[in-house]
Amino acid sequence: MNVDIQSLGTFNQLAHEGAEQATASMSQMTGIDADVDVTQITLMDRGDVGEALDEQAFVGVEFDFAGELSGQTALVLDEACSETLTNALLPGDAGGEMAKSGVEEIGNIMMSGFIDGWADYLETTIEHSPPTYVEGIGKEILPTAGDTMADDQVFVFKSEIEWVDASVDFYIYMLPDQDSLTELMADHADAESDAIPVDKLHVFNRMTQQGTRQAAENVSMMTGIDVEAEVSQINFARIEDVPKQVGTGRYVGTAVEFTGLPSGFLLVLFDETSAKNAAEALMPTGVEGEELTDQHTAAIEELGNIMTSGFVDGWANVLQTSIDHTPPRLVHDMGRAIIDPLAAQVGQHQDHAFVIDSRMRTDDVEFESEIYALPNDEELREALEELAVERAEETDADPEELFQ
Amino acid sequence: MKVYDGSQTAQTSTPERIKVGIAEYDVSTNGATLSTSGLGSCIGVALHDEESGVSGLVHVMLPVAEEVNGGNPAKFADTGVETLVRELEDHGADRSSMVAKIAGGSDMLDFSKNGSGIGVRNANVVEETLSELDIPIVGEDIGGDHGRSIRLESETGDLIVKSANRDSKRL
Repeated sequence: MNVDIQSLGTFNQLAHEGAEQATASMSQMTGIDADVDVTQITLMDRGDVGEALDEQAFVGVEFDFAGELSGQTALVLDEACSETLTNALLPGDAGGEMAKSGVEEIGNIMMSGFIDGWADYLETTIEHSPPTYVEGIGKEILPTAGDTMADDQVFVFKSEIEWVDASVDFYIYMLPDQDSLTELMADHADAESDAIPVDKLHVFNRMTQQGTRQAAENVSMMTGIDVEAEVSQINFARIEDVPKQVGTGRYVGTAVEFTGLPSGFLLVLFDETSAKNAAEALMPTGVEGEELTDQHTAAIEELGNIMTSGFVDGWANVLQTSIDHTPPRLVHDMGRAIIDPLAAQVGQHQDHAFVIDSRMRTDDVEFESEIYALPNDEELREALEELAVERAEETDADPEELFQ
Repeated sequence: MKVYDGSQTAQTSTPERIKVGIAEYDVSTNGATLSTSGLGSCIGVALHDEESGVSGLVHVMLPVAEEVNGGNPAKFADTGVETLVRELEDHGADRSSMVAKIAGGSDMLDFSKNGSGIGVRNANVVEETLSELDIPIVGEDIGGDHGRSIRLESETGDLIVKSANRDSKRL
């Protein structure tokens, strides 16, 4: 089964417009202004779906849908958000059952808009079940996997909706049945060009996970902090949505340009607390004070370099291509301003981008690191095509072997 | 695109705050504060017409629309500025009394080997487009190797520029 980049773009746009339609319905009902901040398609392990949801209480509604596209979709609100919404809908005492029916009603209106948007585009009928009210902590709120295994890779659509007046968590997830989605994508694919076999994309995602594990091991070895690769996924988003993947705070890290097949950019980022903790683990003596010194940033530069090399070498091994990279450039700035020029450079040639997003963390100290890779999409497709021809056996085998 | 003309909002003493995302624009006719964050090589272009009280902000990402096929005019410096000017006019502003303030266009993490980086080209195209439209640039904080976040107080037309490692500036 192949998917082409154009149809990924179209489906992403479709999900975005569906979410916008749903949000507009909600605004009309409640008088509360909200915007769809970002929509992306992500290829990830089924068990990682919902990783963006904090460990806190959420409420929402869930639907099954069936037709040319089948699957499940969920609207997820945090508690503060659901209270504000139900108060707007039912002013006064909106506790208990009333709040629940308010969420159900809003959910019903929003999700009908969302599903109808897809059906219109696909010129087909998509049936959906009545809404089910759901509650849960973190990602438990989302529909269960059914017969999918936790490490099966799935495409998930996620829209984040942001209130105009406040920052509140509010998400629409769509978990299509994978066969139904890939068939539909294949139907909408341009047969001429651009096609990426889905299974190769799966293999590539596994490689990236291995690369992240390698990078995490390098960090552990250097710092003595036991760091674990946590999530690794491939997002597909509009170029202008790429910077929104990074938090709004300040970060320290390194960026490189890599050349070869594929070319692109790789960014290693640490939030400031993590940067300080990681750097101090590398330093022979303790450091006074809260500030990040030149010593800290020099240590981060070294760490970024090691992580980058591990990661890029991993790709090159698998893809059997030679990938070089520039020396790392140190950055310490607003997260989104750091990734913005990289997205712009990729955006000179393409409207959408694959963003490889890997995270590692540890429970020992406050430490989290994010790796973002932005490959040229056409070159990534070519590299994967090569992989199909020359390395078919190896890729069918356990990817771990390739990282020995 | 949303437009805030005061009729949709509850009466409050503090001005409304509107966030403008990357490749987006917004217009205010009621003194709202328009803000955008994380400008690296991107540029925030703020327009203000004192007489009509109409202001707007666009966050552009790439220099010229022709270079890429894309449906969103606010993504590009040339079409983004033109679109914002037209929107202000549609809301009662007069081009002859508009002034512009611009910020961003950093060359941080620019790996271009030949010619100018994206930040510089973005700035050039913004300046050229404004000049063609006869809109003067009365304040700017452009270039350097650091990111910026900006806030347009549309009541006064003041543009506040914040950087990660510097004091904020009022243009």
